[in-house]
Amino acid sequence: MNNADMYQQHLLQQQTRRHFFNQCGLGVGSIALANLIAGSSDANHLDTSSNPLAPKPTHFPARAKRVIYLFMAGGPSQLDMFEHKPMLNQLNGQQIPQSYLEGKRFAFMDSSHRVNLLGTRRAFQQYGQSGAWVSDLLPHTAKIVDQLTFIRTCKTDLFNHAPAKLFMNTGTGQFGRPSLGSWLTYGLGSECNDLPGFVVLQSGPRGPRGGSILWGSGMLPTTYQGVPLRNQGEPILNLTNPESVTDSDQVRVLEAVRKLNSIRLAETGDEEISTRINAYEMAYRMQTSAPELMDTSDESRQTLDMYGIKQPKEASFARNCLLARRLVERGVRFVQLYHTNWDHHGGPTENLEEHLPSISREIDQSGAALVMDLKQRGLLEDTIVVWGGEFGRTPMGEVRESTGRNHHIDAFTMWFAGGGFKPGFSYGQTDEFGFGPIDHSVHVRDIHATLLHQLGLSHERLSVRSQGLDFKLTGVQPANVVHDVLM
Amino acid sequence: MLLLFRILPHVPRWFFGSLLLSVLACQYAVAQELQYNRDVRPILAENCFACHGFDKGKREAGLRLDNREGATATLDSGKAAVIPGKPDESELIQRILATDEEMMPPHESGKKLTDKQRDILKSWVVQGARYDKHWSFVPPTKSPLPIQANASQSTVHPIDSFVLDRLANEHLSPSPEADPTTLIRRLNLDLLGLPPTVQEVDDFVAAFRLNAEKAKSDLVTRLLQTPSYGERWGRWWLDQARYADSNGYSVDAPRQIWKYRDWVINALNRDLPFDQFTIEQLAGDVLPNPTEPQLVATGFHRNTQINQEGGIDPEQFRIDSVFDRVATTGTVWLGLTIGCAQCHDHKFDPIEQKEYYRFFAFFNNQEEPELTLYPPELNAPSLHAEQKQLEQSTNGIVADKAEALRLWEESLTTEQIQAFSKDNQKLIAGDKSKRNAIQKRSLYALGPGANDDAFQKELQRLREIEKLLGKGVSTMVMKERSSPRKTKLFIQGDFTRPADEVTSGTPAVLPKLEPNENGLNRLDLARWIVSPNNPLTSRVIVNRVWQHYFGRGLVETENDFGLQGTPPSHPELLDWLAVEFVERGWSLKELHRLIVSSKTYQRSSVDRADLREKDRGNYLLARQRRLRLDAEIVRDVELAACGLLSSKMGGPPVYPPIPQGVMGQGQVKRDWKVSTGEDRYRRGLYTFVYRATPPPSLTVFDAPDGFSTCTRRTRSNTPLQSLTLMNDSGFFEFAKALEKIIQTDGIEVAFRRCASRSASEQELAILKELDTLSAARALLNLDETVTRE
Repeated sequence: MNNADMYQQHLLQQQTRRHFFNQCGLGVGSIALANLIAGSSDANHLDTSSNPLAPKPTHFPARAKRVIYLFMAGGPSQLDMFEHKPMLNQLNGQQIPQSYLEGKRFAFMDSSHRVNLLGTRRAFQQYGQSGAWVSDLLPHTAKIVDQLTFIRTCKTDLFNHAPAKLFMNTGTGQFGRPSLGSWLTYGLGSECNDLPGFVVLQSGPRGPRGGSILWGSGMLPTTYQGVPLRNQGEPILNLTNPESVTDSDQVRVLEAVRKLNSIRLAETGDEEISTRINAYEMAYRMQTSAPELMDTSDESRQTLDMYGIKQPKEASFARNCLLARRLVERGVRFVQLYHTNWDHHGGPTENLEEHLPSISREIDQSGAALVMDLKQRGLLEDTIVVWGGEFGRTPMGEVRESTGRNHHIDAFTMWFAGGGFKPGFSYGQTDEFGFGPIDHSVHVRDIHATLLHQLGLSHERLSVRSQGLDFKLTGVQPANVVHDVLM
Repeated sequence: MLLLFRILPHVPRWFFGSLLLSVLACQYAVAQELQYNRDVRPILAENCFACHGFDKGKREAGLRLDNREGATATLDSGKAAVIPGKPDESELIQRILATDEEMMPPHESGKKLTDKQRDILKSWVVQGARYDKHWSFVPPTKSPLPIQANASQSTVHPIDSFVLDRLANEHLSPSPEADPTTLIRRLNLDLLGLPPTVQEVDDFVAAFRLNAEKAKSDLVTRLLQTPSYGERWGRWWLDQARYADSNGYSVDAPRQIWKYRDWVINALNRDLPFDQFTIEQLAGDVLPNPTEPQLVATGFHRNTQINQEGGIDPEQFRIDSVFDRVATTGTVWLGLTIGCAQCHDHKFDPIEQKEYYRFFAFFNNQEEPELTLYPPELNAPSLHAEQKQLEQSTNGIVADKAEALRLWEESLTTEQIQAFSKDNQKLIAGDKSKRNAIQKRSLYALGPGANDDAFQKELQRLREIEKLLGKGVSTMVMKERSSPRKTKLFIQGDFTRPADEVTSGTPAVLPKLEPNENGLNRLDLARWIVSPNNPLTSRVIVNRVWQHYFGRGLVETENDFGLQGTPPSHPELLDWLAVEFVERGWSLKELHRLIVSSKTYQRSSVDRADLREKDRGNYLLARQRRLRLDAEIVRDVELAACGLLSSKMGGPPVYPPIPQGVMGQGQVKRDWKVSTGEDRYRRGLYTFVYRATPPPSLTVFDAPDGFSTCTRRTRSNTPLQSLTLMNDSGFFEFAKALEKIIQTDGIEVAFRRCASRSASEQELAILKELDTLSAARALLNLDETVTRE
């Protein structure tokens, strides 16, 4: 294709949505802006093979190509949602046997630490052919249990919010390490040239504790960090050219910026400049792709109803679920949705009586709709949907004027769908109170290893060298792919 | 090689040479005294503490190695892990030297000691297995400079001495000095947050050619005297103070506390010593006969959020704000995550929950009033007295004439009433018994009082006074209560579950604060924080200033100097700076001068292949770093480049253009009436910040949210930033202004206004292909324009 043709293609890309889809879906390599301009001759043109987001070969054949991670920030109570423990209700208010507490540490540890068991107020029932237990908080999720893989014995190491979120995302509680999404875009590149490979969507009353380090790139180049869209109003601002600036003006400016930045890159060797060059190219493409992405007027009423979206212009977890589908449809590698706040300790603003039901309503219908929508469109085959928080909550209650539960790291529930996870399958059992695992404890590192494995990456091989050491998502401790939960 | 520093001070400087170093390296085990924190603890922490640490639940074989008592105790096997002075009898040493299944750490842990680490542990046992306090709890001292002046160089800057020593040990050479244009731009951006003008660059380069050292020193002196310094470094402090212009939470009503912001700028410009700067902010109201500015300074701890939702318990949110004050004080001054002990004993640092509430008690004893400040020419007390007297007098007249007022009101026709203002119409129609004094006065003045000259005269004076007093500006301050509140420990940090009462005090791990007969108050705390024997404050502040110049602190975890934090990369340098800072009278300006006059600061930021290989993160400081500018300064440099920047300082926050719809997104829709005149073009730190709906062009460049203290900004680099600089209407306005400069002064000058240096032929050729507006836009979007090199 010569330059003139490329320019034509560029114009087409502005006009045809159909073309845009093909462009993304087929994983065409990066098109440098230089190529978009007729007659451009450019000595400083960066080789497209140096595009850090170009698709890369996997370590072995992949079962999945992309991930949507529904992050329930604050730590949802598995005991009121997924873990049916009749004993907990029978012994409500009684002390948990001392044998359960030996050697355990809790987030809120003090002399009067609550050790009394708290039964659930929720009604549990078994659903689907798989017979998975789900409480009445999640009527929509209950209908799709045969699509889901539950891991009921997830285990993390840290019990305070920000470090635990960091742990779930980066495999360590300390900052400065790459997050899962960064590792994936680093390891696999992006299949979409027109949107960032790693997009973060947020909803709820505030951002997740920990903030932008949760989607940071650590010692990987900043090109791999997550791009957080706004959590209110328009998800992305400034998508249109300024008044009086035509599209060809815009392209000329960007081309000059790219050339000048490339010269400076050669002179200084600063990788941040190459990140910025990529960011400008992406920004330009997003001017076309993002309005298209966010304009949900092409979605049927039926689809909007399925997600429970009343106002497509209003920010909500439901809208973010729909946007997530639209993002992966366009080839985005990793979409992470944060929804706050699940920190139900009890008390006037965060209790199990009032606030857990309301936040469950916020995520139930749309989360289930997302899975089914992906399935209908044939995308669930190679898209993994992950649902879970940074930890779970204790069988012991915190009883204030209203009830709540403490942070719990030994056994909590996450669910997975698609991408080669066994549908309608539950893994790991906890004891009669849901306190600890009685088999198959699945550590965060194992979850990371399993996700990477499905995407065709070995957690042993995916590494980056920094400060004389090779860093991996799963760190130095043993991590295992949980083959039992895979098809 | 790391171990070599200790002996170097005792070695003549001409010893430097890799050959000699390698000879010495073989002898370190004998020649050198090991330090627990620097040399030994990192090895034990990495390899042993997981199974032999403080966590009882995970401890194996009953052995703990994190204190001397545990390490030397007799184990069930009858042996001891450590027998000081006797490595051959110490089980620890035998096990780390073992090669069979006895080997420690065990194979399955995935951990492995290097030969050097084994040697260190062995030597440590030989030397007596000394354990030391955590480094940051030991007061800093000055070590001798490892490299002294030599024949070729009359002086070596102390900072360079430490840095070069370390580089030599790692066989790395430092980068050369940056060229003078880069230097003046770097110094301007770092000290003022503004680029130098074209003329300033030319003058400096000329002076540099005559006498480089003098030119640099003169420049630094000039910049430190420029008022913009207070704005640039003021923002550094305002991040830590979590300053913003609204109350936060969901209602997020505007608040007025910009007098505090101006106090910070002013205090930095007059170089108020940091100890005094601290005392006035933490306890200005408790000082004897505090001045008005000292009261304004207490706004530091009024920058907490205020919840104005209906139906809340104000006590809950008052306590939340005290929690925030404790956490902020701990982080900002002590570099400790004291906040962790709010609900439980600290997991990693020696701070008990009870100690937390003793600290809490310092901040639990104040009212939170507003203070109104009047222009100095106004005698506010006398005006207030006169106002009160006039109010009494006029109210008296109105009361006497109540009957006349009633009759007048009854006589009014509908037409007459309709001629009155809306407010007065409402008053007349409304319930007479509910009128207040002002309303009665206003009606009387309209009716029977219209011809009462004495009354009218008083009323006129009253209105004059009200207008004069209206010039007052309120700001939020602290006021110590006369009768102290009792502080109780809250179980799990829950204010509804108070337990034992505590009195104010400081954590036992830090130097003691002697109680006095009146109990300890905030002033005692503030003085303790900046007392010379506090091991943390000076280190923490010096580190946080350093971080701005090099993109990373000497302690990378700038908000955690506790046991979980990272140890300093250059411990002796950090301590030297901390001591020097105090010796120079806690002068921040002198600290800045000290750092920026080092060669380490002045080096080129160009990356090198060898460094990329050996020190990719530039921890060893062989070169400078290119750093993207802070959010507000991105705005400032673009405003300066296009010539629109207003130099007006201080005053109420301003409202530059923001994208449509942003302000409609909070729970309560807020007005954003775009400022006109020069207020449209003020520096970024004067932009009004609503916590719930902050200006997107600042947020996108990682400006902090003002919800809690921010001691380090992240530096992201995203397409959303590109979209902002390209398409945001505010930035486009700057491009149009720069276009005019291109048209009058040429593209070369415009380039220099953005990047300070001159463009190359190749660069000019690229720009000249564009129309002037496009060229201006390109310039304002360059990486270099928004970067300090």
